[in-house]
Amino acid sequence: MSVPGPGTAVRPTFRTTMTTKLTINGTQTTVESADTDLATALRSAGYTGVKCGCDGGECGASTVLVDGAPEMACGMATREAAGANIQTIEGLGSQDDLHPIQEAFVDHFAVQCGFCIPGMILEAKALLAENPDPTETEVRKALDDHICRCTGYTKPVAAILDAADRVANRQVATDGGTR
Amino acid sequence: MSEDEPVSDGGTASEPVPKTETVETEEEHPLEWDEPDNNDLAPEERSSVSKRPEKQDDRKLVTGDATFTADQARRFPQLVHAKVLRSEIPNGRVVDIDTTDAEAMDGVHAVLTPDSPTVPDGKYTSAGQSYPEPSPWDMQVLTDRVRYVGDPIAAVAAEDTETAAAAVEAIDVDYEEYDYVLDPEVAFSEDAPQLFGDDDVENKIVGHDYSRNRMSHIEGRLGDVEEAYDREDVHVHETSWETIRQSHANVEPHTTIAYTDEDDRQVLITSTQVPNHTRRQLAHLFDIPIRDIRVKKPRVGGGFGGKQAMVVEPIPLALTLATDRPVMYEATREEEFYAMRSRHPMQVRARSAVTEDGTIEALELYALSNTGAYGSHGMTVAGNVGAKPLPLYSKVPRIHFEADIVHTNVPQTGAMRGYGAPQGTLALEGHLDEVARDLDLDPIEIRQDHYMEIGDLDEIAGMMGGEGAERRIRSCGLDECVKRGKEAIGWDDIDQPEADHLHRGIGVALSAQGTGVAGDELGAAQIMMNEDGSFHLQVGGVDIGTGADTAFVQIAAEELGCDERAIIPKTSDTDNTPFDYGAYASSTTYISGRAVKKAASDARDRILEWASRMLEEPVDALETESGEVYSTVSGDSVTFEEIGYESVYGDETREHILGKGSFSTEESPPPFAAQFADVTVDERTGEFEVNKLVVAVDCGVAINPGMAEGQIEGANHMGYEMAVTEGITVDEDGHVEVESYDDYGFRTASESPPIESILVETHEPTGPFGAKSVAEVPTNTVPPALSNAIREAVGVRITEMPITAEKIRTKLDDTTT
Repeated sequence: MSVPGPGTAVRPTFRTTMTTKLTINGTQTTVESADTDLATALRSAGYTGVKCGCDGGECGASTVLVDGAPEMACGMATREAAGANIQTIEGLGSQDDLHPIQEAFVDHFAVQCGFCIPGMILEAKALLAENPDPTETEVRKALDDHICRCTGYTKPVAAILDAADRVANRQVATDGGTR
Repeated sequence: MSEDEPVSDGGTASEPVPKTETVETEEEHPLEWDEPDNNDLAPEERSSVSKRPEKQDDRKLVTGDATFTADQARRFPQLVHAKVLRSEIPNGRVVDIDTTDAEAMDGVHAVLTPDSPTVPDGKYTSAGQSYPEPSPWDMQVLTDRVRYVGDPIAAVAAEDTETAAAAVEAIDVDYEEYDYVLDPEVAFSEDAPQLFGDDDVENKIVGHDYSRNRMSHIEGRLGDVEEAYDREDVHVHETSWETIRQSHANVEPHTTIAYTDEDDRQVLITSTQVPNHTRRQLAHLFDIPIRDIRVKKPRVGGGFGGKQAMVVEPIPLALTLATDRPVMYEATREEEFYAMRSRHPMQVRARSAVTEDGTIEALELYALSNTGAYGSHGMTVAGNVGAKPLPLYSKVPRIHFEADIVHTNVPQTGAMRGYGAPQGTLALEGHLDEVARDLDLDPIEIRQDHYMEIGDLDEIAGMMGGEGAERRIRSCGLDECVKRGKEAIGWDDIDQPEADHLHRGIGVALSAQGTGVAGDELGAAQIMMNEDGSFHLQVGGVDIGTGADTAFVQIAAEELGCDERAIIPKTSDTDNTPFDYGAYASSTTYISGRAVKKAASDARDRILEWASRMLEEPVDALETESGEVYSTVSGDSVTFEEIGYESVYGDETREHILGKGSFSTEESPPPFAAQFADVTVDERTGEFEVNKLVVAVDCGVAINPGMAEGQIEGANHMGYEMAVTEGITVDEDGHVEVESYDDYGFRTASESPPIESILVETHEPTGPFGAKSVAEVPTNTVPPALSNAIREAVGVRITEMPITAEKIRTKLDDTTT
């Protein structure tokens, strides 16, 4: 820690660099982590699919999967995630090989501005892992941590219900060997 | 009055302008529109329009590859971060400001105050409108005369946001506090604290009277309403309504990166709906030539009107000029609620004269609009309280509309989806429902007897805009919207719940909007062919998440006769795309889309010319389809790719195939919506559940029905919020009480009713392939439909939004005692 500048009792301005080793989308990565939340660390490391839409912990746009569980990365200290397997939207499908949930969002026109969508898709992935055949009510409950201003939720909900079928079919077709 | 028409005056108060008697000729507003042959295609003739190709940017959005403004920060290793010191008092003056400690902090690059050299001292409006803006120039980038809690006083650039925030904290401000006023009715009285002296404002707007905090007064009339009220065979009804201060709540905050490029030009990457207006406004404000400013829009995380304004851009620009470093300013969520923009809260009165048999002889709306501390979009939004909803009932012979727009010491308001129409629609559609009940008339029939139909000359939309502002109605699917909406909601056959204390009711509301600002729009496009038969499509039009880029591509593909995948859209970069007014007033598909169609048609002409040469056949024997030109005579064909190579590398002559199109119009055809709300109310508690919302919309030909449905559903969700949440509330000290989404009362997925959207296709001959607008009209209808549904279910009328269980219970208690 450096000495705070004159007149600043609030926060130090320069810090010694601290790093944390994270496993992001299956790859061991070292990120700068001094005092930062996981969303900031991931974004600084190039995972900008992690979005920040509020002052912390309310909009759901920074949702990532930490050992499979959806967490708002903005509300988690980077150090807490050390050793965990973190999945961001970049670790799902690619543009020419979409994950079935991503595919369903595209096919259902569930994406408008798209800012909240990575968080919603990861939330859906966690939901379907736990509950492969959810009801509409269960899907809506799962999305309650995600503010979407564009869609009114109608099409994202339809996309996730359809994605449940797609994921189930994909698993049968490829001996359970999908992503 | 048209939405963005400049109406600055020389300081005189407005006079009501009686409509002059003009005989409109068929030539000026012909019913038969001279549209291109290919504009009216039967469904089976369409190759791209009204199909559901993937939204252009979806794959990059669902994979996280797409970049929004803040995501581009990584491109700038030298980037510094901005924070703003904002007023803590609602009205007063900064008498002393001490930035010494802030400036001395490690990592701080600049601390700017109103007197700093790179901070403009001129007056401007943040409203992103055409020039000269029909909003008063009453604000400054940084100010020492503060008028609301949140007014910007100083700005800091520092190595990181924490340091910038700490530096803002370290600035000492001494205020001289003035009395303040929060209530628009009080503000409008003679002895209220005055926000502006006459010298404080430039570009004043019609009807201003700053001694009473009135920013503007507008009025329009058609016929003599008083004459109808005096008649003995009419019933006169008067009702009053109140709307909330709604937040745009776009999930991506207002964000700008400003930097100076290697040519010493100023570049802004910014989350805006209006790149060209922003460029012009920055040029004027900073006295930099327009040619030396570039505004680029990356993906934008929702706008809804909140970004039809230059809300944050001047601050990072002033800071980059001061520091010679790239600067990013990203508003906090708290700032979004207290220092950005919101919907104008209004009190709206409706009055009518209706005969016993249900003939509406006169209809009138009066709006008192609270524009807050500054006047951005104040007059134009208020104008649309009347100019959008009232024309729906074009058969009514006498119409009067009047509005006062008043300043108070609360955050300033701005453009928001619907743009005045939601406030007017609540009053009008709630009012008609009450009239129908009182006179024992069918609530749908009274509307149908008076609403627009094809062939009508609508004089109401233009009643404040002078001669020639009338419009001919050439497409109208209202009957079908009503019919299909009724079927979907089960209007004629609803079951009452078994429990005695539960009551179910359905409410209806109709709405009309416009499509662009009549006579005050411009869109332009250019298309360039590549050797492989693909095209670069350059459009100034602005996609803020609506799918506009996709609509442009579909229109171009339909016109050219090729696959959508052959077209690469490049949009919204003032250096590289043609001029466009921007994404507002439901204009993009119609205005920018027509420009795209013209550009594609232009390019297609050149393609046919080359094909004619290559096939040795006359142009009029040739057609395009699926990326080929074929002869209707010989059946011979040549591919776009062959033409692409030949045109660029041919032996005898060479040409880069380019098409261009520029489009403006006096037309603004209305889209229509029929809304139905199904509600169950518990008479013991007043609690209610919205079982379903159904909304049928006539948007002409939906260029992409999947995207159009998404617009409708999102708009209805936003309308539902206007009906059932408090919005942004302000405490008695002038502080915004909403600091976060949780405070705001946003309705989440499980708290939102099912929404069914129905597309009713009509053909609008002035629109590209028959299209008109879609995204605003379904915003207007939920509050009145829900108020009407509750009235139907339990007999009480809620006129003041939001509708709450407590208000219903109180009214029920009043009626039983």
